[in-house]
Amino acid sequence: MPDWKQIVRRNLPILTVYSPEFTEELAAHLEDSYEAALGQGSSAEAAFQQTIGQIEGRCGVWLVMRFLQEELMAGFIRGVALPGLLTSAAACFFYRVLELDHIQHKVIWLLGGQLPLWWWCLLPICGALGALLSRRNGGSRLQRIAASLLPSWVKGTFILLMFVVGFTLSGLVNDYQLVSTRLESLGLVPPGFVIIPAAFSLLGAGIAEVSTKKFRRLA
Amino acid sequence: MASVDAQIKRGSAELAVLALLAEHSLHGYEIAKQIEAQTGGVLRFDMGSLYPMLHRLERKSWVKAEWQTLPNGRRRRYYRLTASGRKQIAQLRAQWRAFFQALESVTRFQNA
Repeated sequence: MPDWKQIVRRNLPILTVYSPEFTEELAAHLEDSYEAALGQGSSAEAAFQQTIGQIEGRCGVWLVMRFLQEELMAGFIRGVALPGLLTSAAACFFYRVLELDHIQHKVIWLLGGQLPLWWWCLLPICGALGALLSRRNGGSRLQRIAASLLPSWVKGTFILLMFVVGFTLSGLVNDYQLVSTRLESLGLVPPGFVIIPAAFSLLGAGIAEVSTKKFRRLA
Repeated sequence: MASVDAQIKRGSAELAVLALLAEHSLHGYEIAKQIEAQTGGVLRFDMGSLYPMLHRLERKSWVKAEWQTLPNGRRRRYYRLTASGRKQIAQLRAQWRAFFQALESVTRFQNA
């Protein structure tokens, strides 16, 4: 009998990390499926190929996508949208406060532009707030992560759209300088306002997660 | 139309699973096989449809899952209907009955 748990872990590593229990359940299903195929007279090799086909290639991708979609979309408003709005509001608030207090000039220079170092340092608080509210609303782990990353998601999507629109327009008007500017901004803006903030927010969410668990253990 | 189609599929799949679990507790593989057998293969679940749905039903507290060890030492996650699930199944049956009656009055598909 093949070790189906091991096979599921190898083929669906995301699910294994996210939900070991679900991995075991899938392995049990494959085990039954394999035995049924053997019982119908298939050779061991044919039964194995037939069974593993359920989690390989497109089927595997579909399975992971459906699982993550369910996890993310169940109670989306309470688990992701509202906590995500809190994260966004806190991030905007800190950004404005830094601007008003003229702290914003303390930035680091990279690729010919300025990146808001102090703002980054405050983002773990925003990420933690979103994750905590999501947890309070019964959000799953994936939803807590999504809630802490919502501002970066929105900003990333917006930048990508701006880039596509800008690129298309510049292609229409045949303005190569505009294309070059867009490409340059794409090199600076996503790391400064999407990727690095996402990492800092996620750090905050992680700290909140660990702290909550420790607090609960102590309580 | 696409969303209606998706809703019908989702609703009918949920009803089928709940109706099956109303009779006895089953694990995922048994649910898939029994539905396939009872519907003559018309309704089939792949793993990507079945397990996310079972977990959704569990989140809604319509079913409860628990691990059980079989006599051969294997562990299986059995799903059983909860009281809330029983109420839900009654509602779903009523909704589907109304839906089919409405459809029948227009299409006369039973006479076709």
